[in-house]
Amino acid sequence: MAIFFTTPVFIRYLNKKGKVVVDYHKPGKPNVPRPAGPVLLIGIVISEIILYVLIPDTKIIAVLLTTIIAFIIGYIDDLKTMPGWFKPAALILAAIPMIALGSHGHSLGLIFDSAFIPILYIPLILAIIPIVGNTINSIDVFNGVASGFIIITMIPLLASVILFGNVTVFLMGLPLLFGTIAIYQYHKYPSRIFLGDSGTLLLGSMYAGLSIAGNSEIIGVIALLPAVMNSFLFLSSVKKIVEHRQVKTRPVSISEDFKLEASKEPSAPATLVRLILARGSMSEQEIITKILILAIFSSVLAFITIVTQYFFIKGMISL
Amino acid sequence: MRLLGLFMLIFIMWMMIVIVSYFLIFVIGPLHIDIFHNSSDRLISSIVKASSAIGLVVVLILMLGILKTKYLQKTLLKE
Repeated sequence: MAIFFTTPVFIRYLNKKGKVVVDYHKPGKPNVPRPAGPVLLIGIVISEIILYVLIPDTKIIAVLLTTIIAFIIGYIDDLKTMPGWFKPAALILAAIPMIALGSHGHSLGLIFDSAFIPILYIPLILAIIPIVGNTINSIDVFNGVASGFIIITMIPLLASVILFGNVTVFLMGLPLLFGTIAIYQYHKYPSRIFLGDSGTLLLGSMYAGLSIAGNSEIIGVIALLPAVMNSFLFLSSVKKIVEHRQVKTRPVSISEDFKLEASKEPSAPATLVRLILARGSMSEQEIITKILILAIFSSVLAFITIVTQYFFIKGMISL
Repeated sequence: MRLLGLFMLIFIMWMMIVIVSYFLIFVIGPLHIDIFHNSSDRLISSIVKASSAIGLVVVLILMLGILKTKYLQKTLLKE
């Protein structure tokens, strides 16, 4: 509620300060205020502090610190464009509270059973937070995609957390879900505010933190598969970690009627949007719908995985 | 129907995760190496298990790379 009611005020503030960027995909190329990260952070921090007062669990502090550090890294990138390596490298810092405060388990849920990996789990956490943070950051290509994606994928994640994690982590996830629903009202097509790196890294890192604290890492990854695929396609075609804006050949181009087309250049990076456009041009709104349909599909797969894992862990099925 | 290919790609990625999980739990997990018949066997077993698990994940990534190349050839480059 706090996010929903303060965002219009924040939009006016950003417009007044001239903190706007051009939305190149629309006729007239309007200026859109950015970033929405601060307002999202304030809403989440207030909710999590209230939760901590009611349930003093260090997991809440660990996930909150991870989220705040990720926000700061993103905000630095919002203020000053940093090199491509900055976000993935700096996000390793965001993983430290999860380890230092012992908010993780020692077993990794692997659908058929759990693997006890107390030592291997530490580097895994150091990898999960930067990867998921950057994955959500790289899917934020059109109006409302990153926020819509998080809303859809949070549903299987929260279902998994309540089954395989605990109630506290489930409650910790609610501010992220409802906060994202609130910001989506302003971020959806046509966007009245952009999330910015501070917003997307905050969403991605908190999502990762919740999946770790809630013993739901694999479910979290499966729900994110279209976004994971987007990052994987991009990285494996450019062969190094770079910012999207640093890529010389663009994966998509905009026609005069503001429809998007896939690049025919073999050297252009492969992305999810380029694959969606492979069979013909589309409007921005159509692409957004297609990406969110893919998120629903991967969330259904995540639900199938949850049911399978539940039956195996309860011993109702065995191989 | 434009998304059918991408649905298939995501489904195959999901199946690969399920298969890798199966191998980790039922093949690599129960591995036990008995060489010296003392406590060092446990350490060796753990190292072998961890290396196999990492190797399996690397194989998964390589397979995803092959899958991606095939899919790109079939869609983008053909177009």
